[in-house]
Amino acid sequence: MAEWINMPKQGLQMTEGTITQWFAKEGGVVAEGQDLFEMETDKLTISIPAACGGTLLKILRPAGDTVPITKPIAIIGAAEEDIGAMLAKFKADGSPAAEAEADAPSKEPAAHTAYAVPPQGGVSRFATPRAKMAAEQRKIPYGEVPGSGPEGLVIERDVLGYTPAAVARATPLARKVAALEQVELQTVSGTGSHGKITAADVRAAVLRRLPGAAVRGERLVPFTGMRKVVASRMKESLLEMAQANHRITVDMTEAVRLRETLKKADIKVSYNDIVLRCVAAALTEHPMMNASWTGEGILQKEYVNLGMAVAVSDGLLVPVIKDADLLTLQDIALCSAELAAKAKDNRLTPEDYNGGTFTVSNLGMYEIDSFTAIVNPPEAGILAVGKLGRQPVVIGDEIVIRPLMQLCLTYDHRIVDGAPTARFLRRIKELLENPALLL
Amino acid sequence: MSVKTYATAIRDTIAEEMRRDERVFVMGEDIETLGGVFGCTRDLYKEFGTERVRNTPISEAGIVGAGVGAACAGMRPIVELMYMDFTLVAADQILNQAAKTRYVFGGKARIPLVIRGQQGIGRGNAATHSQSLETFFMHVPGLKVACPSTAADAVGLLRTAIRDDNPVMFFEHKALYPVKFETPDDPEYLVPFGKADVKRAGGDVTIVASLLYVGRALEAADELAKQGIEAEVIDPRTLVPLDMDTIVESVKKTGRLVVAHEAHRTAGWGAEVAAQVTESAFRYLDAAPVRLGAKACPLPFNLALETAVVPSVKEIIDAAKAVCYR
Repeated sequence: MAEWINMPKQGLQMTEGTITQWFAKEGGVVAEGQDLFEMETDKLTISIPAACGGTLLKILRPAGDTVPITKPIAIIGAAEEDIGAMLAKFKADGSPAAEAEADAPSKEPAAHTAYAVPPQGGVSRFATPRAKMAAEQRKIPYGEVPGSGPEGLVIERDVLGYTPAAVARATPLARKVAALEQVELQTVSGTGSHGKITAADVRAAVLRRLPGAAVRGERLVPFTGMRKVVASRMKESLLEMAQANHRITVDMTEAVRLRETLKKADIKVSYNDIVLRCVAAALTEHPMMNASWTGEGILQKEYVNLGMAVAVSDGLLVPVIKDADLLTLQDIALCSAELAAKAKDNRLTPEDYNGGTFTVSNLGMYEIDSFTAIVNPPEAGILAVGKLGRQPVVIGDEIVIRPLMQLCLTYDHRIVDGAPTARFLRRIKELLENPALLL
Repeated sequence: MSVKTYATAIRDTIAEEMRRDERVFVMGEDIETLGGVFGCTRDLYKEFGTERVRNTPISEAGIVGAGVGAACAGMRPIVELMYMDFTLVAADQILNQAAKTRYVFGGKARIPLVIRGQQGIGRGNAATHSQSLETFFMHVPGLKVACPSTAADAVGLLRTAIRDDNPVMFFEHKALYPVKFETPDDPEYLVPFGKADVKRAGGDVTIVASLLYVGRALEAADELAKQGIEAEVIDPRTLVPLDMDTIVESVKKTGRLVVAHEAHRTAGWGAEVAAQVTESAFRYLDAAPVRLGAKACPLPFNLALETAVVPSVKEIIDAAKAVCYR
């Protein structure tokens, strides 16, 4: 009995997914658990394994389609199984009723024909004499032409309609750059070994098409799922919240000392980890900063789930350190390192990024002195961390050099006012300047 | 040109040839005052007399044998068999005498004989009066076999047959007799033997058909055209000699062959065409040739069953689509 493959729900907030790639072809055999397709949700790109094994009888929704969760996207069953009824049902409402498939009508008796009409589709590598002749004339190995005839038989029109994919030899990096810059690899001549296209060749091609190119136009970069979600959440944030911000400069002398001490003990901790730890501690003392605006009232959370913004190649992800207030600095360091790695490799699961209560965003590594972040709804605040730099400071009557860092706290003024927010930010400063208080 | 039924066109052609050549005469059962069961000799006796329009006993072996003898002696007889099924009664005279005499006498004897009559479905004439037997006579060397699908072809082919110095089996179709066609009036209108007629040009699939099935193939082609498949319909017109050049050229173009005939599919002439195409144009084939013919069943008396035994227009459409992988 053929089975529907539906758009899976990955995470509580997922309402739809965009299929980015099918790993199997129609007519191909897939094993249960084998990767069947790749999809993009508003949060991540993920490969989904086949829920059952069999022949991929029909791809109902091709790559590029955005499909609501639980709606059918493919049918898997036995080879040559009649799925006419399922296709009709899909056409009718696009939604399978599980009970209806149990009594799908059996195959209709084949009309009497004196000659055999074999089933369509399949993977055999036979070609008709005419198709072979056409392939020969065009110097195409007919074996690489996808056959549309019975059992995958390659027929003439398959050959005539086939453009051999001039497989450009290119380095993986070159392919990546080409994809990003939308450069056709076929149009790039390679300078690498044996004419292999290198990333430099692709960049040169990009440069060539910019200045002096006949037409310097505009190009439309299609939205990825991530772009769309970042856009809608940022807009929603600024439209809904009354955002204000406070800035404060922190003397990081003690924090630097702490980090050096741990380093000597072979314990790796980043400044951001120290910030995270201090923020988690401060949040327990300022519950209004660990809250959400709701229709009924302000929802204070007794747990602290600390989001950390991570830049990835084509967007921004905010994995969450759960119960950060209960973790030691070292635990936080381990968690943040793991989450950052997962984010960069696109391995985050909904578990990893759902449920944040406050976010820390750090652009210090980009030499940014200070910046205003936008609150990640439905949280009440976000702390923007600038670079750590040696600067002259007046201490007593002397000017001395100290490692300083600027913090900028954006907060939802609907939930919390300026003075309590200032106290919260000052508390973070206090903890960072006196890390012993964390003990 | 004038519009005539297939039967009248045959009658008029016989009359013209009898006027042109006094050696031409007709004999057969009930052909004199009755004018033949299907009217193909109607009133000929009035113009030519009963010497040249001769009634015979019901003895097909006798009629054909007399025809062979008369031809041998210098006449140009046209023998009418009421049903071509009865050729089997005269099988020895046809296959052993008419077909072989010229050969066994080293070319010194000639047999300018036409054996004509009707065959096929359409009247519920049952198992022994509805067969399509043209293939039988392709198998034995020495006979020419003509199968006109229109009145014009009947005229041109019959004239060529009468003027041929060799025995010709002339297969008419009972269901075509009352059908009216544009018919040439020129008394010298000849259709050469061995020259197929492309009844409809198309590039997607070649359909070879004869007699009643030319019309059915054309009907199928019209429907196929609506579905985006252009069929080329070829009527070989004579099965001996068989114009394979035209068929092979067509298949080289289309890559696909369907042969549709009323004769039984098993070892029917479609098999011969398919085999020759495969031999000559194998590399041009994009699908295995398909043969359509009557099922291996005696032709039923009941008209509905008779219809069911022979290929329908839909079967031709389906076969053409199948070889186009559509």
